[in-house]
Amino acid sequence: MTEPVNNRLRVELSQLVGENGILHDDQDNLYGVDDLLPKAVTLPDSVGEIRDVLNYAADNKLSVIPAGSGTKLGIGNPPERVDLVVSTLGLNEVLEYEPGDLTATVQSGVRLADLQAKLAENGQCLPFDPPYLNRATLGGIVAANSSGPSSLYYGNSRNRVLGMQLVQSNGAAVKCGGKVVKNVAGYDLNKLYIGSFGTLGIITEITFKLNPLPEVERTMLITFKSVTQASRAAIEIADSQLLPIFLNLIVGGAPSVDIVDPCLVIGIDGHHETVDWQMNQIRAAANLNDATGVEVKDGAYQRDVRTSMSAFPESNPQMVVCKAHLRMTDVEKFITAALDQCSDLLDLRVLGLIGNGVVYFAFSVPSADTASAKFASIVIAELRNHARNVGGNLIVESAPTSIKRHVDVWGEIGSSLKLMQQIKARLDPLNLFCPGRFVSGI
Amino acid sequence: MIEKNRITSELSDLVGAANVLTDSTALSVYECDGATLFKASPDIVVFAESTEHVSKIVRLANKFSVPFIARGGGTGLSGGMLPVNGGIIIALNRMDRILEIDVKNQRAVVEPGVVNLLLTQAVEDRGYYFAPDPSSQKACTIGGNIAENSGGPHTLKYGVTTDHVTGLEVVMPDGEIVEFGGYVEETPGYDLRGLMVGCEGTFGIVTKAIVRLTRKPQAYQTLLGVFETIDDASSAVSKIIGAGMIPAALEMMDSLVIKTVEEAFHWGFPLDAGAVLIVELDGISAGMRHQAEQITEIFNSHNCREIHRAKDETDRQNIWKSRKSAFGSFGRLAPSYITQDGVVPRTQLPKVLRRVAEISEKYSIPIANVFHAGDGNIHPVVLFDERDPDQCERVDAVNMEILTVCAEVGGTITGEHGIGVEKMDYMPLIYSPEDLLVMTTVRDIFNPSKLCNPGKIFPTTESYVKLGIESPTV
Repeated sequence: MTEPVNNRLRVELSQLVGENGILHDDQDNLYGVDDLLPKAVTLPDSVGEIRDVLNYAADNKLSVIPAGSGTKLGIGNPPERVDLVVSTLGLNEVLEYEPGDLTATVQSGVRLADLQAKLAENGQCLPFDPPYLNRATLGGIVAANSSGPSSLYYGNSRNRVLGMQLVQSNGAAVKCGGKVVKNVAGYDLNKLYIGSFGTLGIITEITFKLNPLPEVERTMLITFKSVTQASRAAIEIADSQLLPIFLNLIVGGAPSVDIVDPCLVIGIDGHHETVDWQMNQIRAAANLNDATGVEVKDGAYQRDVRTSMSAFPESNPQMVVCKAHLRMTDVEKFITAALDQCSDLLDLRVLGLIGNGVVYFAFSVPSADTASAKFASIVIAELRNHARNVGGNLIVESAPTSIKRHVDVWGEIGSSLKLMQQIKARLDPLNLFCPGRFVSGI
Repeated sequence: MIEKNRITSELSDLVGAANVLTDSTALSVYECDGATLFKASPDIVVFAESTEHVSKIVRLANKFSVPFIARGGGTGLSGGMLPVNGGIIIALNRMDRILEIDVKNQRAVVEPGVVNLLLTQAVEDRGYYFAPDPSSQKACTIGGNIAENSGGPHTLKYGVTTDHVTGLEVVMPDGEIVEFGGYVEETPGYDLRGLMVGCEGTFGIVTKAIVRLTRKPQAYQTLLGVFETIDDASSAVSKIIGAGMIPAALEMMDSLVIKTVEEAFHWGFPLDAGAVLIVELDGISAGMRHQAEQITEIFNSHNCREIHRAKDETDRQNIWKSRKSAFGSFGRLAPSYITQDGVVPRTQLPKVLRRVAEISEKYSIPIANVFHAGDGNIHPVVLFDERDPDQCERVDAVNMEILTVCAEVGGTITGEHGIGVEKMDYMPLIYSPEDLLVMTTVRDIFNPSKLCNPGKIFPTTESYVKLGIESPTV
């Protein structure tokens, strides 16, 4: 029944974006959203083509989900419907890069990894280490405000995006911010779009503030007898004059690397004298807190450990990954309580970004039946209560669709919800973008 | 103002008669901020002491359809608090309590009237500080910093106010009390906290803020270099950034500023110097010497004639006093001045500074430059006598040409002072009518009656005429 309709759709879309601007239907599953497949995936390669596709979608009452490589499509509530996916992979140019300005302007479909390679030629980098390091596009990283452990020192998109351009649901191309490192001309709309998950427009161009590459990078692995001791050591480090790049606590192991836990994984980058001095200080703090082992990694092993930290929240069809934001001093209590409560869960893993007050909590759900889904949703609700009781919040970063049907992945929003709904209603009056995926049905 | 007596009496019932000013002499204090060229008198000034006060005052203003504007220290530099159509100024100086200090979680909860420097002083014995450090930090309030998204010399490394605010309590333009963000780093949904910061008081009135406290660095190295020409100094700036260093601050003063500051305060600068650069490194002591040496080398290769390295904290403080005292000395040069605030890509600094000098010469209006070179944030101080209409006209042309140059090289028209009333006309230089429409759409969601700080930020039809740009039809 739907086949001929979809064929017509593809023919009409190909008139807008060309034959190559449509993904073959056998690849559509790369852009599946929860258990729904899109009717078509388009890959426009210009702002004009994006505008045409959006106008077409509006005329035909089709919903649009913006994407890059599709790595964030698992985040959010199950959508009401999935008609078109508009991928920005066709927008893949680095537009402006002047090393002396320490800024770069790129199209949104540029992959972080590709930009890094280009910046590294000049000893510079965009210091992000989000999940899907090799595949993630800059548009997706910004739209999902997806940042990695290094945001402790380097900040995230909110600190690094200087300006952007996007196409709104009415097809208008607009820009906000600028290309220089300081700018207070008009409202800071960058903040509105960062972390808006494609619900307000399709980002086409972004200007970032860059950083010089550090001379030396080291990763320390410090094991402890208990989560309490590890947390105490971490908080002492956070409260000191040391400047770790990241300050992570691992319980239950990490993807693709062997780590004995509980373990603090600490990144120290910079001039070699600075790095050496900091590592000595950290060793002393570790000993005072009865650490059972201290190792320093560099080279390939270090890269694997850092990649594993970044990859921790990556989705997997059988895994639930929750992300809690807490006060730093509540992290240990939260982890301990959660571990107590969830000791019978399978493949339980915890990553605490202690300095950021973030805790990722992952467990696997072996079966997709209703009973398992309900059980998992109760676990999530209890973890969320723990977080809320201490003034924090918890979102479900990824979970099987069967579980998402029993839980709101974002949780409650509070007194600012009405404004958020009005913003969505005014900036996307047709509710074209991602209906139902964002907070409270936005 | 229609019904002024009735409004005054109802306000007095709400907050007490002693907290309501209506006498024209008393009101004259509130007719401008630091951008003293722009003046407009409010009809009433009312001092709020609590969130509930603010909410009730706002509801009252709505009832009578009168504009209302929040005001803190009055140190703004773009007329952001100017009561252009009269109305009520809600003074927040008495909401000046630090409600909570939690250094372990690197947060403080403050009322909007807390003076910026007092927060730092309250936490410094515990090894922390509040990073945004505008030159007016002895007088400006955190509420004002949030409204303007203020910067300061150390934003090069530490970012501007928005990077240091995690949560806000706001009295919306209809009087409702809403919370944005929170104590923790992120909250789900749109980042309305981020949107509030820098809204120039047009989205509501911040009545409480949760701000980040930053650990004081272990060590500082502060270097002052005296250069033959401003070209040499600005090339040195690009070189330092290009060499992979991010100093905490990188500040420049040109010859006119050096001479004025020297004559006023006798810091010991050579009177014939072309430019002075102040570079501050901070962080961990180990390895810092190496960076200081690198900077010294860069200075020397750019015709630096004299390098002074701060030998202790007093020495360092004196260097900063010399920088921060610059604005206090301009009264010696001319009765009035306007400080421009454009930002340009760092690599364009030499070119832009040459252009500023040409513009100064073309219009015979002296311009002094003291600015955040590391950010590319220039502060041309345009010096004149506001009693001379001919000079005022030329100053207007000077402002327009400088901002046009900033926009042409890919920069912006304000880096930290805000648009206010001062730069409304120039917004079309950097934003299209469609870009501005998104902003006004968002403004209308927060502030549908437009009673909350009206007449700011957005260009008028006359602005387009002035710029010679076709006026939009939207």
